[in-house]
Amino acid sequence: MQHFKFLTRMALATALAGSFASAASAADVNFLRFFGDCQTEYGTVTDVSKANGECGIITVLTNKFNAENKIGAKVITQTAEWGAFYDQLTATYSTGNIPDVAVMHASVMANFAERDLLTPLADGFKKAGIDTADFVPAALKNAMSKDTLYALPYDLHALLFHVNMDLMTQAGLVNSDGSVKLPSSPEEFISMGKQFKEKTGKYFIASESQSAEGMMVRLWESFMWQQGVDVLSADGKTATINSPEALKAAGLIKSIYGEGLANTALDYPGAEQAFLNGEAGILINGTWGVDNYNAQAASGKAALKNYKVANVPTIFGKSKVWADSHMWVMPKDDKRTPEEVDAALAFMKFLNDNNFQWSRTGHLSVRTSVIGSPEFAALPHRGEYAATAENATALPPVQNQRGVFNAMITDFNAMWLTGAAPADVLTAMQDSVDQILSRNR
Amino acid sequence: MSTARRTGTARTIDLTLLVATIVFAVLWMIPIVWVVAMSLKPNSELMRSTTGFIPIPFTFENYVNILKLATVPLWLMHSFIVAVSMTVAVLAISSTAGYAFARLDFPFKRTLFLIMIAGLMVPEQAVFIPLFTMFADWGLHNTHAALVMPRVAVPIGVFLMTQFFRAVPRELEEAAELDHASHLKIFLKIMLPPSVPALTTLGLFTFIYAWNDFLWPLISATRADMYTVTVGLASIQGNFAFSEGLGSVMASAVFASLPIVILFLVFQRFIVAGVAMGAGK
Amino acid sequence: MSRGVTYAGRRAPGAAFLFLAPFLAVYVIFLVFPLFKGIWISLHDWELAGGYRKYIGFLNYQDLWHDKLFWRTIRNTLYFVALTVPTMTLLSLALALAVHGEGRLKAVLRSVFFMSSVFSVTVVTLIWSMVLSADKGLLMPLWNALGMTPINFLGNQTFAMPSIALATLWWGVGLPMALFLAALSQVPQELYEAAELDHTSRFNKLRRITLPSIRHTLLLVVVLQIVGQFQIFGQTHLMTRGGPANATRTIVQYIYVTGFRDWHVGYASAMAMALFALMLGFSMLQLWLGRRGEDA
Repeated sequence: MQHFKFLTRMALATALAGSFASAASAADVNFLRFFGDCQTEYGTVTDVSKANGECGIITVLTNKFNAENKIGAKVITQTAEWGAFYDQLTATYSTGNIPDVAVMHASVMANFAERDLLTPLADGFKKAGIDTADFVPAALKNAMSKDTLYALPYDLHALLFHVNMDLMTQAGLVNSDGSVKLPSSPEEFISMGKQFKEKTGKYFIASESQSAEGMMVRLWESFMWQQGVDVLSADGKTATINSPEALKAAGLIKSIYGEGLANTALDYPGAEQAFLNGEAGILINGTWGVDNYNAQAASGKAALKNYKVANVPTIFGKSKVWADSHMWVMPKDDKRTPEEVDAALAFMKFLNDNNFQWSRTGHLSVRTSVIGSPEFAALPHRGEYAATAENATALPPVQNQRGVFNAMITDFNAMWLTGAAPADVLTAMQDSVDQILSRNR
Repeated sequence: MSTARRTGTARTIDLTLLVATIVFAVLWMIPIVWVVAMSLKPNSELMRSTTGFIPIPFTFENYVNILKLATVPLWLMHSFIVAVSMTVAVLAISSTAGYAFARLDFPFKRTLFLIMIAGLMVPEQAVFIPLFTMFADWGLHNTHAALVMPRVAVPIGVFLMTQFFRAVPRELEEAAELDHASHLKIFLKIMLPPSVPALTTLGLFTFIYAWNDFLWPLISATRADMYTVTVGLASIQGNFAFSEGLGSVMASAVFASLPIVILFLVFQRFIVAGVAMGAGK
Repeated sequence: MSRGVTYAGRRAPGAAFLFLAPFLAVYVIFLVFPLFKGIWISLHDWELAGGYRKYIGFLNYQDLWHDKLFWRTIRNTLYFVALTVPTMTLLSLALALAVHGEGRLKAVLRSVFFMSSVFSVTVVTLIWSMVLSADKGLLMPLWNALGMTPINFLGNQTFAMPSIALATLWWGVGLPMALFLAALSQVPQELYEAAELDHTSRFNKLRRITLPSIRHTLLLVVVLQIVGQFQIFGQTHLMTRGGPANATRTIVQYIYVTGFRDWHVGYASAMAMALFALMLGFSMLQLWLGRRGEDA
C-alpha cells in the first residue's frame, strides 16, 4: 500500500517536474569558442554531412542542437579569436558575461582548474548520460586535474608526418606494400634524409622553423617521451630538460637542419606552401591539416598529388607523440541557474554523441567506440594514423604548462637560427623553464 | 609667394629631391599594394602562393563575406562611437590644458607641468590591470565609457598642444590683451585657429589609435554585442587564419582601415593649412 | 611687452584652474590612481584570475634584480630605442620637408607616407614578416640574382631587431611627419621670403629658419618617440615572439607574457614600474637638454 502511494507520488512529482520544465522558458547556453565564424555559409544548415572544416562542423552541430533539442535550450554562440582567446575568457570572469560552455585546450586547463574557475562535471555527466569510460585514456587524463573531472574531451590533435608519396617514391623510400618507409632510429633519419636529398634534390622535411608555433619543440618533446623521459614532472615542480636523452633528441633535430634536410626559413604558412608545392617530402604538422591537404591534393591544382599521412615514427624506442586536446568546459559562475546548467550539460551530451562528426576535421576522436567504428575508418587517411590516438602524449596538466612550452621555443629554435650548440640551448631552456616553475604554487 | 627667381642649380636640386621622394613613395606603397592584391585573391590560392602584386585569380568573395555578416554594422557603430568620443574629448581636454600651460601663469605651474610629463612616461602595461579591476569593480565593463575614459587621461595631447601653443607668436595675443579680451576669447579666437594643423593631427591620430585598439576592447567589451571592429573582425577568423584564410585576413585589414583612409583624405589639407601669419596689422 | 605678461604667461590662477580642471580630473582618476594601484599590486603575488593575492613586499623587485632575462630585455629595448628614435625623427622631418607644400602631387605624396599608419599592428607585422621572409619574401629575386642564400632576417640574431625597426619606421612615420607638417605650416612665410631675397642657401634656410622655428615640435617628436618606442610590444611579439634566442625580447613583451600568459600580474607590475622609472629618467634628461636652450 505504502509502496503504491510512494510510486504515485513519484509519478506525480515527475509529471509536475516535466510540465514545469516545458512551461519554463528556454534556458540559454552562452557558448564561447574560437574556430571562426561561418554564419554566412552555414547559418541555417542543420545537416552535418554538408559541413566541412572546424568552423562548419561546430556551427552546424550547434544549429542542429538548437533545432532538435527537447528541453527548449538555445545555444548562443560567441566567437573569439584563437590567439587572444584565453585573455578574453579570463576577462569574462570580471566583466560579467561568463560563458556557460567554452572550449579549452588541455594544455591550459590546469591553470583554470587550479584557480577554481571551472565547474566539476563528473556528477553532471552521470546525470546527462555521458559515458566517461568510452574515452581514450589519454583524453580522460587531459580532462582531469587533481582527480577531478573538469571537461568534456572532444578531440586529440597530434603531430603527424604528412607525406608526399610521389617524392618518396622517387627517393626510393616506399615499401613494397605501398606504405612510406620511415626511419626507426636517429641514424636512419639522417641517412634516409640524405638519400632523399640526393635522389630528389628537395628538402626531406618541411616544418615551421621560426618562433611562432614551436613545431620542433613538440617533436623534441615527442622524442623525449619516446626515450621514456618526462619533460615535466607530474607535480609540475621540476623539468628534465638538460639530460643525455634531451641531448640526443636535440642533436638529431639540429642535424636535420645542419645536413640541409630542412629549410630554416619557413614559417607556418610557408611550410604548408612548401609541402603543397612539392618542395618537401614530409611536412611535420598536425591532425588539423589532413582535410585541407587532402582537398588540395585532390583538386589537382597543387603540385602535391599523392598524399598520405603517417604516424610520427618511433625513433627512440617507445611509440609516443605530442598531442593536445580540445575540450569543452563549464566556467564557474555562481549566478548560473540549475536550468542553465542542465541546458549546458544537454548541449555537451549532444556534442559528445556527435563526436564522430568532429573527427571529420582530421582531429582524432576521443571515444574508443568512434575510433573503432567503420564510419571513422572510412574517413580519408584515418587508417594511416589511427595509432596516434594511442601514442598521444602531452605534458602533464600542471600550472603554466603552456607557459613552459612557450618559454622553450625561443631558446630551442636558436639551434638552427643562430647555430647555437644543443648543450647550450638545453641549458638555457632549463633555466627559462625553472624560472617559470619556481612561481608555481 | 616668393617672386625671386630660382637659380638653375636650385631648380635641379628641387627636381632631384622631388624625383627621389616619388621613387621612395613608390617603394613605400609596395606593402600596401601587396595587402590589397592578396585581399582580392581566393584563400585557396593564397595557401599555395602569396607572391604577386596582380590579383589573378581575382575574387571579391573575401569582402563579400565580411559585408554579409549581420554584425559588421554593429561593430562599426561601436568603433565610431568610441573613436569619435575619444577624439572630441582628447581635443577638448588637451587644448584647454595646453593653453593653460603655454600661456597662463599660476601657482605650482612648473610642478604640475612636470607631473603631466611624468604621466607620459607611464607605460600602458603599468595601469592596464589596475584600470581593468577598477572598471570591473564599478561594473562598467561592456560600455563605451570603459573604452573611452582610460585613453582620454593620457597626457600626450596636452604635451602636444602645449608645444604648439608655445610656438604661436605672442604679438597676436598682445593685441587682444590690449583690448582686454577674456581668456576664453583669446583661447577660442587667437590660439585655436593657428593650431588647426596641430588639432587635426592630434584628432586624426587619436581616432586611429581608438580605431585600431585591440587588447583593451578585447578584455573590456567581452560581450559579442559590444565588439568593436578590431575585436569583431578577429573573432570571425578560424584557427590558422593566416595560412588558410589569408585573403579574408587581408580583406578585413583593408576594410577596417577604410574609414581612417577616408578621414585622412578629407582632413589632410588641414594638417598643412598654412595660416598667413601677418606680423602686425 | 605689456604689463603683467611675464615669460611664463599672464598671471591668471582662476582661469588657469578652469582650463586645467577637465584634464586634471581624468588624469587623477584614470592615470594617477591606477598607477598607485599598480604599485600596490607589484607588492603582491597577484594572479590574473581566481582571486589569489598575497602580500610579499619587495620580493618581486628583488626577483627582478636577479632576473637575467629582464636585464636582457632592457638591453634589447635600449638598442631598439637607439635604432628607431633618431632615424624616425630624421626620416619624418625629411619627409615632411619633402612633401610640404601645395599642389596635387604633394598631397598625393603626403597620403602615401601617411597611409602606412592606418593599419593595425597585426596587419603591419604580418605584411613585414612576409616581406622579410627568406622563403617567399620580396627580396627573393635579389638573392637569386646574386646567387646567395637568402638572409633569414627575422631568424638572425644580428638582423632581427633592425628588421623590426624597419617595419616600425614604415608603420610609424605618419604621426611625426604630420606633426612636422603642422609645425612647418606655422612658420611665418615672410621669414623665407626675406631669406630668398638675401639669396640664402637652401641649407642655411633650413638651419637658420626652419629648425629653430620648429624646435618645440622637434622636442615633442623626440619625446613622443622615446615614450613610444620604449613600449614596443606588438612588433616583437608578433614577428619574432621575442626570438631568436631572446634577441628581440623587449620589456613590454616580457611584461605581457608574464601577466597574461603566466598570470603573474604582481611580477609584471613590478616590471612595468621599472620600465616607468627607466622612461622617466630618459625623457627627463631629454627634456632638460631641450629646455636648456629655451630659457636663454
